Amino acid sequence: MNRNYYILTAIMFFLALGTLFIHERKVPPEISPGELLWDVLQPTRFVSTDEVAKRLIEKDPSLLLVDVRPASEYNKFTLPNAVNVPIDSLLTPAGQSYFGNPGMKVVLFSNDAILANQAWVLLKRMDFKNNYVMKGGLNEWMKTIIQPKMPPQTAPETAFERYDFRKAAHLYFTGAGIAKAGKSASKMKVVFKKRKKAVVAAGGC
Amino acid sequence: MGPLFPNNLISGEWNLLIALFIGMAFGFLLEASGFSSARNIAGAFYGYNFVVVRVFFTAVIVSMVGLLYLGYFGWLNLSQIFILPTYLPSMITGAVIMGVGMIIGGFCPGTSLTAVVIGKIDALFFAIGLYLGILLFAEGYPFLEKFYHAGYLGHITLTELTGIKAGWWAFGFTVIALAAFWVTAIIEKKVRKRIKEYKF
Repeated sequence: MNRNYYILTAIMFFLALGTLFIHERKVPPEISPGELLWDVLQPTRFVSTDEVAKRLIEKDPSLLLVDVRPASEYNKFTLPNAVNVPIDSLLTPAGQSYFGNPGMKVVLFSNDAILANQAWVLLKRMDFKNNYVMKGGLNEWMKTIIQPKMPPQTAPETAFERYDFRKAAHLYFTGAGIAKAGKSASKMKVVFKKRKKAVVAAGGC
Repeated sequence: MGPLFPNNLISGEWNLLIALFIGMAFGFLLEASGFSSARNIAGAFYGYNFVVVRVFFTAVIVSMVGLLYLGYFGWLNLSQIFILPTYLPSMITGAVIMGVGMIIGGFCPGTSLTAVVIGKIDALFFAIGLYLGILLFAEGYPFLEKFYHAGYLGHITLTELTGIKAGWWAFGFTVIALAAFWVTAIIEKKVRKRIKEYKF
């Protein structure tokens, strides 16, 4: 018998022996790259800040806001009723419990849309449905809802309607408008007009 | 990373072309291993030539152990690999028919075609019979359909069926295969001594 056969037999035996000690890698279920690419290119995942504000005001029960920023930033300020799932805990069972629930629409947000987009891609790869990204993130929220700017006079009417909505939303979320109105009212000077006393006729009768 | 086709690493257009080249390589290796000789194939059943057993066992254990390692290294997602669905009664019947056919004809379907290519007359007749069999099966399919689909077990593996880790199956099969290599070598030696008219 050829000496090579002994060597090959030994190699094959030890390789097979090795398979006893390796464990099968658990690969989480994932959508195909083609599908992911297609969905990443779609703008349909973006939700405007106006839409989020509208649903918040309407108290839409199917809306779940998820703040993907770190907990320290979440504790400083966030949107009303938002839950905090930092992007690094997105893959934990506790973090995943918020996603893919039937009937719920999850809107992800961060300071800008980048972190939220990253979180969205992770969730998309794991095939969670009904996830959206707030366009522009909290920066856009500040710009449009908290400090809305009046459109120029030449803007179309819809822009003014949007501005009206944003002003109303601004009042809803900050309550600052009412205080302002009170302030300006107190600034008004009440002018007392002193009635001149009738001149007493001098000289007696 | 892998498998390559389901993950779009190789596009659909290349799929068939690569399959063609793999098929050519397969045919070449069958011929190079001596599978285009009916004597070699039937020899496994008469005990004087076990090259078929060795080549196919080698293919099985190398790919089996290799797949497990690739899965462990993360180069291949084993859950995406196509697993042939199991229909137990029809598969056993098919295996028996194929085994009997190999003893009688001296070829299996693939090797008969490689033998036709190198110009063997017996392989030509075998291939004609092969296509007649395919025609017969296709025409008789309505009668066979019920039996064909009986005992469907789904895309199961031995690991799922028994709960024994894949590594143990791979190791067990490898030990059996390696033992078979040596045992068949001994059998070959003894049988060949008794055969006078055929030189090896």
